[in-house]
Order: sequence, then C-alpha cells, then structure tokens
Amino acid sequence: MPPADGDAGTAQAGNNSSDFVRKLYKMLEDPSYNSVVRWSNDGDSFVVLENEKFTKTILPKHFKHSNFASFVRQLNKYDFHKVRHNDENGDSGYGRDAWEFRHPEFRADRKDNLDNIRRKAPAPRKPPPAEDAFPASQQIIVMSESLTATQHQIQALQDQYSELEKTNKLLVSEVLSLQKMVRAQSQASNELITHLNNMEDRRRNSRHSAHSSHSGQVQSGGMAFLPDGADEPAPELRRAREILNGVSPDVQADRELERLSMAYNQNGSPADSAGSSVMFAQPGPGGMPLVHDPLNDPRNLVYPVGQTTGIDPFHADHIHNIPYSRPLSNPSIQAEAPSQITPPIKEQQLGSMWRGKKPHILLVEDDKTCARIGAKFLTLVDCSVDIARDGLEAVEKVNRDAERFDLIFMDIIMPNLDGVSATAMIRMVTPQVPVVAMTSNIRQEDIQTYFQFGMNDVLAKPFTRDGMVRILRKHLTRMLKDPQAPSLVPDEIGQSGVAGAGPGPPTATNQGYVPASTMTMANLAAAGNPQVKFEHTPIQSPSTASSWHSPGQMHQAAPNLDSGGYMGAVGSGPGGLVMTPGGTQRPPPQPQPGQYANYMTAQQVAGTQAMGRLAEMSQIGGLTGGDDRPEKRQRLYGPGPGQGSYVQ
Amino acid sequence: MHHFATTLRDDNRDSQDMDNMPDFGDHVDDQIFSQILEMDEDQTDRDFSAPLVFGFFEQAHETFEKMQDALSANDLSTLSGLGHFLKGSAATLGFNKIRDSCQVIQQYGHKLNVDGTSEPDEAVCLKKIAEALKTAQVDTTELEKMMTGYFKKPE
Repeated sequence: MPPADGDAGTAQAGNNSSDFVRKLYKMLEDPSYNSVVRWSNDGDSFVVLENEKFTKTILPKHFKHSNFASFVRQLNKYDFHKVRHNDENGDSGYGRDAWEFRHPEFRADRKDNLDNIRRKAPAPRKPPPAEDAFPASQQIIVMSESLTATQHQIQALQDQYSELEKTNKLLVSEVLSLQKMVRAQSQASNELITHLNNMEDRRRNSRHSAHSSHSGQVQSGGMAFLPDGADEPAPELRRAREILNGVSPDVQADRELERLSMAYNQNGSPADSAGSSVMFAQPGPGGMPLVHDPLNDPRNLVYPVGQTTGIDPFHADHIHNIPYSRPLSNPSIQAEAPSQITPPIKEQQLGSMWRGKKPHILLVEDDKTCARIGAKFLTLVDCSVDIARDGLEAVEKVNRDAERFDLIFMDIIMPNLDGVSATAMIRMVTPQVPVVAMTSNIRQEDIQTYFQFGMNDVLAKPFTRDGMVRILRKHLTRMLKDPQAPSLVPDEIGQSGVAGAGPGPPTATNQGYVPASTMTMANLAAAGNPQVKFEHTPIQSPSTASSWHSPGQMHQAAPNLDSGGYMGAVGSGPGGLVMTPGGTQRPPPQPQPGQYANYMTAQQVAGTQAMGRLAEMSQIGGLTGGDDRPEKRQRLYGPGPGQGSYVQ
Repeated sequence: MHHFATTLRDDNRDSQDMDNMPDFGDHVDDQIFSQILEMDEDQTDRDFSAPLVFGFFEQAHETFEKMQDALSANDLSTLSGLGHFLKGSAATLGFNKIRDSCQVIQQYGHKLNVDGTSEPDEAVCLKKIAEALKTAQVDTTELEKMMTGYFKKPE
C-alpha cells in the first residue's frame, strides 16, 4: 500500500487542496466531538468512535449529508485507508465499532500539509494507481505493435497492388498488340483473298472466253459448256471472306481497353499510347482498319506479311495446319519442310504415305457399292476404314470414341439421318475432325450448307481414288510421311494450263497430281480451294477420254439438251463433274426438296445470285456449245497442243 | 480425232485394264470403271471388282422393284430417293446410262424437269419416271450381260 501517488501530488503542490480534507481537519479540531470522532493518540490518524452519532450529528454539520458510507468512499478517494485493528495490537483501545482512518500526510500536527492530500486520479475501476500505470504503458506497446503490423500489411498490399497494376498494364498492352496483329492478319487475309479472286477471275475469264469461242457439241458430255465450279468464286474464298467480315470487334471492350491503355500510358511510356490510339481510331465492327503500322512491324506478326518475306501464310502447308490442331503422334512431321519440287508419285507407291500410325477413316455411306469402293480406295492407301451405313450410325460411332477417327467422309443423303445433320451432331462431340461431304449435290448453295454445318470439304461423287487421296493429303497433312504440298512441278506448269482449261489427260498415275500442279499454278488458289475447285480437272478428262474412244456414243447419250443438263453435271467424269452438277444448268435457282431442305433457306438467298450467273453461263455455253470436242479444245487451250503435253 | 485418242491412251494409260477392256459403249465410263478394275489385286481373279459389279446389279434389280411399287403408289418422293440412291452406285462404277436414268427419276420425283425447272404436273412426272425406269431396266439387263461376259473371260 505505498502511496506512490504522493510524488506526483507533492510535485504539483498547489494551493488548491480539497475542501473535503480541510473540512475533515476542521471537524477534528472541535474538541466537543471527542467522544464521537477525534485524532488518534499518535495524531497520525483519526478515529470515528461512535459511528451512529457521527453519522447523524456530525456529518450533516460538516459534510451536509448523513451517509457514513459516502464519507468512507470520499476518504478512499483521497487515499485514506482504514486502519485495521488486530487483537494483538494495543491499538484496539478505541472500541469495537471504531473506525480509524489514516493518510500519511494527514496529521494533527501538520495542518500545512493538507494541500498534499489530493483526490486520486479518477480511475474508479483501477483502485491502486500503481497498478494502473503498468497496463497503460503495455497498451501503448500493444497498440504500436499493431500499428506496425497494420503498416506492414498496407505495405504488402501496396506491393501487391503495384504488381497487379504492372501485370494488368502488361496484359492490356498485350491485348492491344494482339489486336493489332489480328487486324493486320485480317487485312492480309483480305488482300490475299482479293488477290486470289482476281487470279480466279482472270483464269475463269480466259477459260470462258475460250469456251464460248468454240462452243461445242453437246456430245462431249456437256463438259465444255458447263459452267463448272469455276463460275463461282471458290467457296473457300467466299467463306474466308465471310468469316473475316463476320468478326466484329467488341467496341465497348475496345473503348475500355483504350481507356485503360491511356491511363497506363499517362504514367508510362507515351510512345505506346500513340500507337494504340491509332489502333483505336477505327474500331468499327466489320471494317478492317487500314492500319499499316502493324504490317510493317514484324514484331507484331506471327507470319511476316509482305512481298519480301517469302512466306505465304495461305500456303497450303500453313493453311492446312491451322484448323486441325490435334496433337499428333508424330509432332516432328511438322518440322519437316515440305519439299517444293517433288515429282508426282504413283499412287501405288502411296501405300506407305503415312509416317506414323495409319489414319483411321470413317466412311459414312448408305450405298453399298460406294462404300465398298470408297473403303477399297482408302485401304489401298493404307488407311484403316470404318463404314457407317447412315448418319445415325456415324454419330454413334463417333460418340463411342470421339478421338478415334482422323477424318470422316460423309455422304449427304442417307436414310435415318442425313450427313449434314450427322455432321452437326458430330461437331458437338469433336469439333476438330475433318468431315468431308461426299455428294453429287455440289451446287454452290449446297456446299455453303455443308460448310455452315461444320463440314470442312467436299468430295464430289462419283469420287475417284485420286480425289480421295487429295482430300487425305490435304486434311491429314501432318500424318504424311512426306507432307509435300500439292507441289509445283516445273514441268507441269505448262501442262497444268491444259488440265485446267479442259481435257486433262488423266492417267491413273498423274491424275491426282495434275490438278495439284494446277493449283500451284493457279497460285494461292491452292490454299483456298483445292478439292472442289480442282476436282473438275480430272473429271473432265475421263469424260473426254471416253468420248475419244467412242465419239459418237456421247451424242446418243445426250441427244437433247434435256438430258444434256444432267450429262454435263454428273456425267462425264469421276471427280471432275463435281462443281458442275446438273443443277448448274438450271436457269433459276430451284430449291431442291431434300432431307435437309429446311437448312437451305438461308443459303438459297445467297445462292440465287450465283445461280443467276451460272444460268447465264450455261446458256452461253449450252446453247452454242456444239463444237467442244476434246481434241479441239486441246488445240485451243494447250500450250503445247499435242500428245507431248500429256507426257509427264 | 481417233488418232489423238489412241495416242493419249498409249502414252498415259499404263494400265492394261483399259486396253483389255471391251468396249461397253456408252453404258460405261471407261475411265471410272478401269479404276475399279485396277483395284483388283489379281487381274485374273477380279475378286474385288466382280462382286462389286454383280452386287450392283443385285442392288439395281431390288431398287427397280421398289421403284415399281412406288410408281404404282404414285409415291414421288420415294421414287426420288431411290433414284438418288441407285444413281450414286451407278456413277461410282461408271455405269453412265443407268446413272442418267436414275437422275431423271430423281428429278421428276422432286417434280423437276431434268433442267431443273419445275414440273408441277404429277402425272407428267410419273410418266417420265416410268419411262426412265423402263430404260434403266433395259440398260441394266444389257450391261449385265456384257459384264457377265467380261468377268467370265477376263483376258
């Protein structure tokens, strides 16, 4: 019980000693109270002898109340303490009920010291002042510690934030540069498509003019007057353009990005912001902003774009590798540079055309004959073949194991489930496997429908082994042992003109490759439209070949234009007729009721225009085409007319 | 003309199938059919092409029967489907005449003329189909005879 408080009290000794202490002293000065309350014998404490009397008579006089408990409380506040009386002590002489209070400074002989008796600090709950001081300092320590901890936290958060900010900034700029890149690519693609279209137009025009200049007899299968597939812009080109135009940038997101980029660039490199603001200048949907910058900035381009780079992003090697990014058993194939000059190989040698595992092909065909022949073709080139008899079976097979097939040949018109619907269903399971339509319905709008429902290519019926091989090479490039693109064989260049123009001299061995070289000669067209487009080349040849054998017979076969329409289309040749189905001769576009006729409504609109053109073409060709014998064409078209040009 | 064709064959047709193949006339597209023949591993055996060809004839007869039924039921859409079906097989084998008749059947089954214009008169369509079917049957019989002869004496 040491009065630690005393120091503080004396230090601040002032004149303001409490009334209570003075009253207390004054009360004790009155001798008349001696029997009730008085100084102790030693004069260092006072004693309340008669509690009841004190409370009732003295307290009211001096303290204006009659509550002894209050009095004691007051004393306690001034650090007076009750003195306990032990029986052993001789002090117990004040009586049993006596209360003795003591304060070290409160003495009978020290009236001058009253000022040193002060009210304790108002800490009602912490009675002893000594005990109070310690927790306070501890509290401060605790608080400062927690403050430090909080500061650390804030620091950490700030670090994290700046890290995030950096990352975000990086991402924004990354997105921006990707945008640039994408736009550059789009533009490049558009340029290429335009280029291809021009090439095609030129090629087509030359053919047509040639055709019409010596319109032929109906007899040669109508081949000459048939506006074959070339009358249409290659469907791939058209599609590519549609895709490009169909990708509309999210303007809202772009704006936000722009804002972000601006904000970042205010703190960061202003140089960048210049670039990006250019980018944002034309975020119009569908519009391809003519931003030349990215084109010239090779950093931004995956495939360098430009005349000097020598890399043609539309080259078959690239193109064909893009859509099907399925992991291969032999990734090293990709590394193998396609040899540009590889002479055509005989099909017989293609038995081992695959590098690793054999491709597993699903052949969906309801017709037994077609299925057997197709399967035979495929097994001859070392593919393993599964046959499904209709679309339903095909879907079931694919559902059973989506990864099983490397490619699917799909007939269109089949019982139970047609090929287009089946493809749509297969696409839900496996988006990547190439699905090739096998059909004689190869009018433009049909083909568009096929593509729209997820098919990747078209193999015209009746198909040929070469047509199939070409499809395989195109879509399974990465499985090839020798992934030569449809290669450019110099010797064939001249000849390919012949092939493209008319009667190709298809031998069993070169048939597949003549069109290939045609493709390369037609330049990039190869990339766009190999199968449909060039299919006609070999096709034409067989028909003409047969007409050479028996020139008269074809006349009989197509004695009138009525049947000639079909002859032209389906008629004369294996694969070739592809793009020139009978339909092309129909002047007005006729919706053909079919199993999936409901799919075609949209296409029909699109096809109308094309059909109109076709109709025109067919009129020109068909009505006038009397003199279209192959020999004649040969003379006219062949760069080197004569047998020699056919020799490989 | 003839000279040229001969030269073409000599230069480019290294397969003996073509040369040894009898002239099936306009029944058969030689080019296509020779490809089928080439797929025989054994050129005397013909164990791929022969069953294929005779399988086709079987299929053709069945189809003709169904067509006959559909014809008497005035079922154009079935006729069209059957026409399309047989057309595919015929075309794949290079059997052009049958193929062409099938095309006619398919077209009129869709109520279309061969040139693609509409033919709303069902009676006309049925009549054209009946004619085409008859032609197809005659052609098939004729061709089957030729093929039987060919496959019996391959060389």
